[in-house]
Amino acid sequence: MLKKRIRFDPNSGNSADEIKQYDLTAALRILRHAGRENPQLYAKDSGEQIQNVIDALCDLSVHDGMTGLVNATFFHVVLAREIERSLRTGKPCGLMVLDIDHFKRINDTYGHTVGDRAIQSVASNILQNLRSMDTAARIGGEEFAVILPECRPEDAIAAAARIHSALNPLLISIDGHDLRITSSVGVVWTEPDHFQSSGALLSEADREMYRAKRSGRARLCHPPVKSTAITERERCSLMAFMNEENTHDRR
Amino acid sequence: MTGDKKARRIAVISGKGGVGKTVITANLAAALAASGQRVLVLDADLGLANLDIILGLDPKHTLQDIFRGDCRTEDALIRTAKGFDLLPAGSGLQENTVLSRNLADGLEALLAELDERYDIMLFDAGAGMGDVVLFFATLAHQILVVVTPEPTSLMDAYATIKVLRQLYERDRFLLVVNQANPERPHETGTSVARHLQGVISKFIDESKPPFVNLELIGSLPRDPAIPRSVRNRQLLLDAQPPPASAPFVSTIADSLRTRMT
Repeated sequence: MLKKRIRFDPNSGNSADEIKQYDLTAALRILRHAGRENPQLYAKDSGEQIQNVIDALCDLSVHDGMTGLVNATFFHVVLAREIERSLRTGKPCGLMVLDIDHFKRINDTYGHTVGDRAIQSVASNILQNLRSMDTAARIGGEEFAVILPECRPEDAIAAAARIHSALNPLLISIDGHDLRITSSVGVVWTEPDHFQSSGALLSEADREMYRAKRSGRARLCHPPVKSTAITERERCSLMAFMNEENTHDRR
Repeated sequence: MTGDKKARRIAVISGKGGVGKTVITANLAAALAASGQRVLVLDADLGLANLDIILGLDPKHTLQDIFRGDCRTEDALIRTAKGFDLLPAGSGLQENTVLSRNLADGLEALLAELDERYDIMLFDAGAGMGDVVLFFATLAHQILVVVTPEPTSLMDAYATIKVLRQLYERDRFLLVVNQANPERPHETGTSVARHLQGVISKFIDESKPPFVNLELIGSLPRDPAIPRSVRNRQLLLDAQPPPASAPFVSTIADSLRTRMT
């Protein structure tokens, strides 16, 4: 907790310099409380110090403290941006969601410290298997997402398959416990001529991930590359019957 | 494994609304219970549930109360006069029209809890092919599709089957044709089934196995007694004078029972 509240009062007559000093003190406190303190934050040159503090604050606001991956809030920002880009460029954007199987069991059996280490291991394995333009995020307790920009469906599936196979199974030894961790993965992609919100795309990816869970876990699921939309030929075939049947019925 | 003791789960779906799914589910449940089966009907239309209305019941608790921790499962289960149990869902609950992780986990845990108490569980799923409907279909051992010989009903049923085949690898569907021509209900049923199967084979299977199998288990003729029974909040089997369509329900129930393997 912050020991002393820093308040900004517009009527206090504080000088601009004083206010700046308050801002800096507040920022340093935030960073200290987040465990992000380092000597660069106290650089002698005040310009350099402010830049370092800003960088550290930005870093803190977009990253997940435990894994170093992007946090859920920033993930949504990036995803929305990539969806927009995909609409503009006509190139689909892939989204992969990964969830550690039976994570509660790991936590219950070995304790939270081991659980946390398992999460960190999975995160670092995801990072090692990314392409340079991909963004990996921790979006929930044991749930991760990877944004795969400029991916055709088959590229998104291939990118997800690489991460999936690197993690299934993941054999790690933590505090003398040998763990065999598996993860379920779902991957989807945008249709570049059809707007989808980041929330809707994430729900779709989640749905695929659940499908992976329900079909035995440790699996990778994705929608068919072929569309489930009804084609004109299917519509005509179905209607042909109705016409025939109605004539029959009215006899 | 205690596989033998677990309930057989059947999801009743239709794609289109208003084709008689809920009426058929309720009447099938009564007919199955009458033949000695322990039956649970779960109102799986979580946003707009109305099985309780059709059955003339006034539930004190619903599925949502169980999830919120406001009541125990036992408190929400209603034993109906026809010998089957109903687990009602609340109506107008927008939060449950989307399948959240909590909802999915909650439903799975609930079904596991109830699994050994029943022989058959019928899920009366909502219309459309939203997440909740598809979720219940994937939890079910068998999927029963209700259609009427109307173009909109056939189209929506076809679209739902296509999604379940392509996304969920389901390839067996049971079919009930409702509102069949009262003069020749079996013929209507057979020709609807044959045609739907034909379009499925041509466009969904595309000669690639496993092929989708659509099996007609019965037809229900158009009968003014059916909407009347809904208005009176009673089952067809209880309506007086006995409606012409009532024996068809029993036939469908028998045929469903023989396929529960």
